[in-house]
Amino acid sequence: MHKGLCSFLNLNFDLMIALPSIAFGGFSGSAKGVTARQVDGRSVLSVRAWPTGIATSAQVVRRASMSKITKSWKTLTDAQRLAWDHLAEHSAGESVFGQSAEISGLNLYIRLNVARTMAGEVILSDAPQNLVALPNVAYTGLWVTPKTIIIKGITHETGLKLVVKMSASQSPGVSSGWSKTVILSPGMEDDWGDADVTTLYLKTIGVKPVIGEKVFLEMYWLDPETGFVGLSTYDSKVCESQEDAEAEGYVPRTKFSMNDLRESEESHVSSFDVDFSTGAPVAEFSAMCLGHSNVASSEVYLDQQIPSDVLGTGMCLGRGCGADGKIIPQSYLVYMYNRSEGAEMTFAHRGGYYLKPTECFGSGIVY
Amino acid sequence: MFNSISNNFGAGQITFKDYQAENYVVLNAKFSFDPTSAQYQACSQMEITVPDLTIDRSAIAGVFVRFIETRSFQWGDSVYDGGSVLKSWIKDKNTIVIEKQPWFDELGPLYIYILALYPQLNQSGNTIKGTKQRLTMTTEGNYLYFSSDTFVVIFDHWVFMHLQFSSCSYAYRDSPWEVTMEQLPEDITADVPVCGGGNQFHPECDGMAECHIENKILTLDRRVMGFFDTAHDPFAFAFLVREGESENNE
Repeated sequence: MHKGLCSFLNLNFDLMIALPSIAFGGFSGSAKGVTARQVDGRSVLSVRAWPTGIATSAQVVRRASMSKITKSWKTLTDAQRLAWDHLAEHSAGESVFGQSAEISGLNLYIRLNVARTMAGEVILSDAPQNLVALPNVAYTGLWVTPKTIIIKGITHETGLKLVVKMSASQSPGVSSGWSKTVILSPGMEDDWGDADVTTLYLKTIGVKPVIGEKVFLEMYWLDPETGFVGLSTYDSKVCESQEDAEAEGYVPRTKFSMNDLRESEESHVSSFDVDFSTGAPVAEFSAMCLGHSNVASSEVYLDQQIPSDVLGTGMCLGRGCGADGKIIPQSYLVYMYNRSEGAEMTFAHRGGYYLKPTECFGSGIVY
Repeated sequence: MFNSISNNFGAGQITFKDYQAENYVVLNAKFSFDPTSAQYQACSQMEITVPDLTIDRSAIAGVFVRFIETRSFQWGDSVYDGGSVLKSWIKDKNTIVIEKQPWFDELGPLYIYILALYPQLNQSGNTIKGTKQRLTMTTEGNYLYFSSDTFVVIFDHWVFMHLQFSSCSYAYRDSPWEVTMEQLPEDITADVPVCGGGNQFHPECDGMAECHIENKILTLDRRVMGFFDTAHDPFAFAFLVREGESENNE
């Protein structure tokens, strides 16, 4: 089995043993978890590889997917398999898989399709026509605090998705912890140069990073169309307080989302994103307003205050979304003000026939 | 001002008024297309190819789609024009995208109004606040009323405008309207959709009229039957390019 693929599968090959051919000459096959084979005139015994550690739910899903992909190889036509073999003969370059090694048609088929299915694509039966060389991930910084885990300044690559792997926080003395990383995102698009993986990190790792401990990052681009991936970029960062990060140069984006809602009060939205980072005379609104108490407005309670330079009133478009798919145009005022703790935004219906829920969206003036 | 190069939904050449800053663009255009055309039927989203814009992608902005429908009855013709708001964005330096909604495909020709500001996100600064100015809307005979949410925010090269109609003297309900917009700059000329008004034959989207603005005068002749139906609150929402400044793009 290809070593890169084994690494990809998180398999353990530490128990591979080379023995003098005089003792086991001509011996090959498997028995009770031990496999013997001939390599360059020598017999090699290896213990069957098993996944290490406790599999995360994502890993379980991935392994099931890989099993399905492996079985589907048998359903390909001879011509299709031949095309994969031909492509594999030219696929050893680093720019294609991030590591230099030969690969078989079957393994190429598995690797590309595992990557594709991770990104939500269907299994590709026909080999891609050409190799696809993907760029490295260019970015300006990684910031890790207990509150925020974000990769900033990513150069956007149209059509590509970002695969992000991170580790739980390790002792700061650990110099190489990339083997501990797990996939947070099988394929995300950067959000205007940001990859805020805070929620994904907590969901996958389970605990926030600890101040003073080190977090390891591996990331690469994935072409969901073909399944090809780019070279991995590696980084690590010692977790610090939000205040220290900001003093060091981290500039939080003025944006509010569902993660910023106060848990102690009920906000009347099912989705919510208001972004003030336009540098232009508008904010970008996106909220599914549910309304409440027979009032044509929806309140959103934030757990932090809104910067004073954008406090005021906004106005955006909306469309009422009827159960039968109605899309009735409306206009909304958005009152934005701070409270003693946190802040509040009120989406108040103005023009058009009021129908809830209303999807408020688009660029809106702020005054 | 510039013209489109092509599109994927069978419309003719589209002329845009524009103001293009380094990190956002304001575009104004009105055009029609036939939703039964093979090109429109084949596309998953409407795409307009244009000469280089100053930005290479944008966040979502709102544009409008409108259909025109007249029904004849014993007592005469009645207007049931309607439409809704669609999402639009700039996909790359040369492509403006408009989402496709199937609701109106049987009601062509359809009219699209682009009166939008396309911003970018994660820019170096925060939103720049403008100053609201209440619009004084006057008619000869004082027959038309607007709510307090009728205002403009004026910038050097463009204006944001929100109109909200309130009521009309019964004597003028069926007359052409002419309104002077006192605070609006003179250098704006545009056809602007007026969303809302009850539409009994198209409750899926409500009514939609079109007003024309030129030299501070708003005219509105053709209105949906239920324009002043209770709770249907007709409104206009538009980012309008100032023509006097359109040659001075940054």
